[in-house]
Amino acid sequence: MNLFAWWRPAAPELDAPLRRRLAALPGPAPLGVCSLREQRWVVLDLETSGLNLNRDQVLSIGAVAIEDGAIALGRPFERTLHRPAQKTNASVLIHGLGPSALAAGSDPAEALLDLMDFIGDSPVLAFHAPFDQRMLARALKDSLGLRLQHLFLDLAELAPLLNPDTVLREAGLDDWIARFGLEVQARHHASADAQVTAELALILFSQARRQQLDSPLQLEQRVRQWRRRKAHHHSL
Amino acid sequence: MSKKDAYSQAGRTAVLQNIQGTLQFLQRFPPFNQMEHNHLAYLVEQCQLRFHAAGESIIKPADGPVEHFYIVKQGRVVGERHHVTKPGTETTFEIASGECFPLAALLGERATRTEHLAGEDTFCLQLDKAAFIRVFSMSEVFRDFALRGVSSLLDQVNQQVRQRAVETLGTQYSLNTPLGELALRHPVVCAPDTPLREAVGLMHEQQVGSIIIVDGQRHPLGIFTLRDLRQVVADASAELTAPIERYMTVRPFHLSPQASAFDAAMAMTERHIAHVCLVDNQRLCGVISERDLFSLQRVDLVHLARTIRHAPRLDSLVSLRGEIGQLVERMLAHGASSTQITQIITLLNDHTVCRVIELAIAERGDPGVPFSWLCFGSEGRREQTLHTDQDNGILFEARDAVEAEAIRARLLPLAQQVNHNLAQCGFTLCKGNVMAGNPELCLSRSEWARRFAGFVREASPENLLGSSIYFDLRVVWGDEQGCEQLRQGLLEQVADNRIFQRMLADNALRQRPPVGRLREFVLTRQGDDKAATLDLKVQGLTPFVDGARLLALAHGISACNTLERLRQLIAKGIIDPLDGAAYEEAYHFIQQTRMQQHQRQTRENLPYSNRLDPDSLNHLDRRILRESLRQAQRLQSSLALRYQL
Repeated sequence: MNLFAWWRPAAPELDAPLRRRLAALPGPAPLGVCSLREQRWVVLDLETSGLNLNRDQVLSIGAVAIEDGAIALGRPFERTLHRPAQKTNASVLIHGLGPSALAAGSDPAEALLDLMDFIGDSPVLAFHAPFDQRMLARALKDSLGLRLQHLFLDLAELAPLLNPDTVLREAGLDDWIARFGLEVQARHHASADAQVTAELALILFSQARRQQLDSPLQLEQRVRQWRRRKAHHHSL
Repeated sequence: MSKKDAYSQAGRTAVLQNIQGTLQFLQRFPPFNQMEHNHLAYLVEQCQLRFHAAGESIIKPADGPVEHFYIVKQGRVVGERHHVTKPGTETTFEIASGECFPLAALLGERATRTEHLAGEDTFCLQLDKAAFIRVFSMSEVFRDFALRGVSSLLDQVNQQVRQRAVETLGTQYSLNTPLGELALRHPVVCAPDTPLREAVGLMHEQQVGSIIIVDGQRHPLGIFTLRDLRQVVADASAELTAPIERYMTVRPFHLSPQASAFDAAMAMTERHIAHVCLVDNQRLCGVISERDLFSLQRVDLVHLARTIRHAPRLDSLVSLRGEIGQLVERMLAHGASSTQITQIITLLNDHTVCRVIELAIAERGDPGVPFSWLCFGSEGRREQTLHTDQDNGILFEARDAVEAEAIRARLLPLAQQVNHNLAQCGFTLCKGNVMAGNPELCLSRSEWARRFAGFVREASPENLLGSSIYFDLRVVWGDEQGCEQLRQGLLEQVADNRIFQRMLADNALRQRPPVGRLREFVLTRQGDDKAATLDLKVQGLTPFVDGARLLALAHGISACNTLERLRQLIAKGIIDPLDGAAYEEAYHFIQQTRMQQHQRQTRENLPYSNRLDPDSLNHLDRRILRESLRQAQRLQSSLALRYQL
């Protein structure tokens, strides 16, 4: 028995079909030097019970794939998770997922497996990606005992990087939606948010191409540089 | 339902919810607003959403056969065609949100002829060819739209026009009255074995034009009309003793008594029949004839023209004016084009003018000198609407100035009375006094020739404004030869005079069509109007009228009507046929919009006005109006190019 097993939560017990599916999941592919258009991306949006990374839960998942540089409208991903224990708190006012919707939701383990199938080996895009990344990582660990290894690219970093002339302090998704005149069907509805985030991503990719950043790898490296420069700038 | 099914069902609902937004967006635009929901949902599910930055090429001729169908979701797509004669490109069309492209190339399985660029940052829904074909084969509405392209948009407008006119007609003419409620005579009927002679005898006795052949339960088996009788008589082998069933038209067309008088009128026009049976529960309960309907409608073109031409007194002419308005409304209801209607108004106005002149001569006595009554401007171009001014003059022959003066003195009192009487008939007196009663417009042929020569020779931008209407002239009453000689002289002078042409071109560019690059329409506020408006006549029609006049005069074309001028310019190779067709359609649409507005103003007892608030139009009309005004812009830029302005 492992020495530390006593404090590690017990690995979730999964039935055989789920275990088989879990085993068959592909890992993330390393970012390549293909063009932005050739790369398949998955845009992710999570609705959660709150903003606490350690305590709050993922309630619903919306995801949209960008393939061949376009959003496939007929194939978005959306699951509401079965969360019977979730108490109604103030966040219900934002995402609108009441107890009945959550009670009728999918089994979290299955829903998360479906999501990982949907993501496949593609890199993930999100607005304020670190939040979605950590919430998803914890949900995967809790429900499937799976470690999230996929690369997340944050559109909240990419947008100001590519639009240095746009002065928006602490700009949120709504600010960028307004900046580019996008129309959003139902904000804080996971799949609608994923959809509008994907539209934002298409605009940003188009800008990136014009700034000679036409591969996922280049884009990711530029974001790192930008983050370092910003940190440096702040520390001065 | 198993748990798994329930989940996949839930997932499916979520997907539907997400495409719902796109669905709702598309449902604001034709043809999507008329497509069946599941066809539209299929279309959306198969779509990709793609972003094109401003200036990016979306499809171009070099791409080869078109592989996708596009719908603009947000932004604007422009078509750019390279100039044939000089470097550079011109924007030939704009595709706005909700519109689609490139239908012709897609259906023709060829490359597009025009490069499509994003005019601003644009999102397009993109459907691949296989899915396009699938939607095309599933949805009749979509197929219809795709096959007929923009002309089907215009058709839809016409349908709406018809619908609106029908609605108002219903109250005036009770064409909406159910047929069953019309007090009609009982139909004359007989059995199928009735001898022909006996059946015709019955028709004669009852003074009707038709007899219905029924069985024992009064089911209609056939109809026999006077038209059939004519055929029987013409046929040498026909026997008057034979049973009527041998000669009847079997299975006569029928409507239910709940159908409206309008339905019957439409059926008669469409099927070229003069009688419609009314059948309730398969039993004959009545018959309605063309004549019954005409008595409801009261006005009909031929009849109206004849009545005007033979009006005994001025006041009967005055009272007939109202009927012209009603006729226009009815013509709109039957889907007549604005060109047909303006020509009919012109025709009836011509009849009125002629009758007014004849009545004035009868009243005052013959002046004893032959003269021709000329008209100018829109009347000269045969483009009158109900809202019309007098622009007229008199032309006569005289040997010299002295004789001309003497004839003028004799004709002027008559001319002034005609002007006055026309005003009573609804032809507003001309504010600029361009009227035959004005001594300066009651001229001999050589005086007119001098006057026209002066227009050309002494032209300045200011006096061209006033003189251009004289170049659209024709004879309404009297001999036409003198006028033709004048016109030929004018054409010869203009053809040689490049400076004058250039000035006319300058004049034709004066009114800029009210469409802007960014905004849909450029509107102005008049006085203390609530809504900003544009002027359909001055800003919409005038650029076409002026442009066509200039090109016609410069190329020796004697036609005056704007559309006729455009057609002849195409025939002479001066205007590209495609451009010409687009100008014609645009001109036609603006005129139609203007006439509908006039009809509405009449109904609401408002003064006629050409000022339109585009927001009062529905989405489709607004879009076509914008496109039509852009065509005016294109005509102007081609003039600017031609005359290097």
